[in-house]
Amino acid sequence: MLFVSKQTQIEELLAQYRQKVSLCLNNFHESIKKYCQAPDRQILGNDFLVVHKAESLADDLRREVEVMMYTKSIFPESRGDILGLLETMDKVPNQAEFALHMVLTHHIVIPPQFVPSLLRLVDICHRCVNSLLEGAAKLFTDFTNATVAIGQVDVLESEADAIEANLTEQIFAGDLEVVHKLLLRDLVQNIAAISDRAENAGDRIRIIVAKRNV
Amino acid sequence: MVFPFPLLGGIFLGWSLGANNASNFFGTAVASRIITFRRAYLLCGGGIILGAVLQGRAGLQTLSSLAGSDLTSLVIISLAAALTNTMMTFLRLPISTSQAVIGAIVGVGLTMGKVHWSILTKVIICWIATPIGAIILACLVYWLLGMIISHVPMSMLTRDKILWSGLIIMGVYGSYALGANNVANATGIFSGRLPGISDGCLLLIGGAAIILGVFTYSKRVMLTVGSDIMTLDAFTALVAVTAMAITVHIFAFVGVPVSSSQAVVGAIIGISFMRGVRAIHFRTLRNIGFGWFMTPIIALILSAAGQAIIAGMSKV
Repeated sequence: MLFVSKQTQIEELLAQYRQKVSLCLNNFHESIKKYCQAPDRQILGNDFLVVHKAESLADDLRREVEVMMYTKSIFPESRGDILGLLETMDKVPNQAEFALHMVLTHHIVIPPQFVPSLLRLVDICHRCVNSLLEGAAKLFTDFTNATVAIGQVDVLESEADAIEANLTEQIFAGDLEVVHKLLLRDLVQNIAAISDRAENAGDRIRIIVAKRNV
Repeated sequence: MVFPFPLLGGIFLGWSLGANNASNFFGTAVASRIITFRRAYLLCGGGIILGAVLQGRAGLQTLSSLAGSDLTSLVIISLAAALTNTMMTFLRLPISTSQAVIGAIVGVGLTMGKVHWSILTKVIICWIATPIGAIILACLVYWLLGMIISHVPMSMLTRDKILWSGLIIMGVYGSYALGANNVANATGIFSGRLPGISDGCLLLIGGAAIILGVFTYSKRVMLTVGSDIMTLDAFTALVAVTAMAITVHIFAFVGVPVSSSQAVVGAIIGISFMRGVRAIHFRTLRNIGFGWFMTPIIALILSAAGQAIIAGMSKV
């Protein structure tokens, strides 16, 4: 590490951070898929621990980057931008963890008729986060093109919103118990919120690029 | 060796020049917290003394040919210009020391009925050429640097590092150009008029006086230039400082002391041509323009009054 510049160290840590966020979302997606196909609270509990671990590792990396950013070698403007982005991005894995935790702690059972739409929502949110991570990665290789991937985040977020609205309508149109309906609605809202968080982080990236545009 | 007391006026002028003009090169970097005042002082000081000693001779000759040979008049000229400069620095206005000096020379010349109009014309042409040259250079640098930043794939951190490092390098280069071009304003009028004081010695004393001004009183104007004219980001700041430094350096070769303040304002106008004029704080620009207009007039009045008083006293 002696001859590696501070910038390279920060960029490597940020790449690791993105990997952990990606891992967290992959695990989240897999966990929900497995739970929808074969609801097993024991397996879900174990899967939640895996997601939680990935989220914690991402948190640790974020803190490490933050400490490193406060050394004098990074220019104030870049420091503020990266810290702001990290703060916003950090809400994405947090939200995924929260949604999965809700399924586990609230003993939510997903009725078969809602499974396809719910899995579609999870898939869209996952893709949305992947686009965000792609845009964030571009900031450190080809920053002028980072907004291309962020455009995709917006498209997917809108799609997630539409599925959320449609699914909520279906939930309340059915004959489930009111409590079950409300729980399902909250779950759908919390899953869709992942794409909202990704969109917020994407907006940050857009501002970072706009500030540096000639 | 007896200390040449008339040179104190030149040292005062050099001090006021450093306090006022050094701001143009490091103002943005300091205002953006990319560099501390202390570090800016040191880099600026090093650049100024190098420029003064290595390349300040041409301007020295121009100024000495404009001024008369009477030592009392030379002291009046330097004091009038220094007072004008200090006044404007107190008002936080970046002004042209060259205009203050030339205004003072003309003031004394008018009182004595001796003004070198032909050399003065060359100087005035260079003053007009300064902001125009800076505008053109700023557009060119903007375009060139913009092409590199936009088309070469790079990390945002690399981009920031390039711009900020460039800003510091150009700040040092600009300080060098300032020393080379403007040291003549401080001690140029004494060239060949003080027995035992060579031109080399004058350049060194002038450079040291400018550095003293930078160290002791440049913070006020540094912040005006750094943040009040236009909110410059790293890219536009680098364009402004580069265009200004090159402009001032070109005139160091020509041998006419010009204003780094006029160069920086020219550069910022050039940037606004490329980016849109809405970003400019016209009120600050108006105040600076007013400062430019008043500088030679105030210096002229002060020096003419000083010369008249001295002449009256000698008659009594």
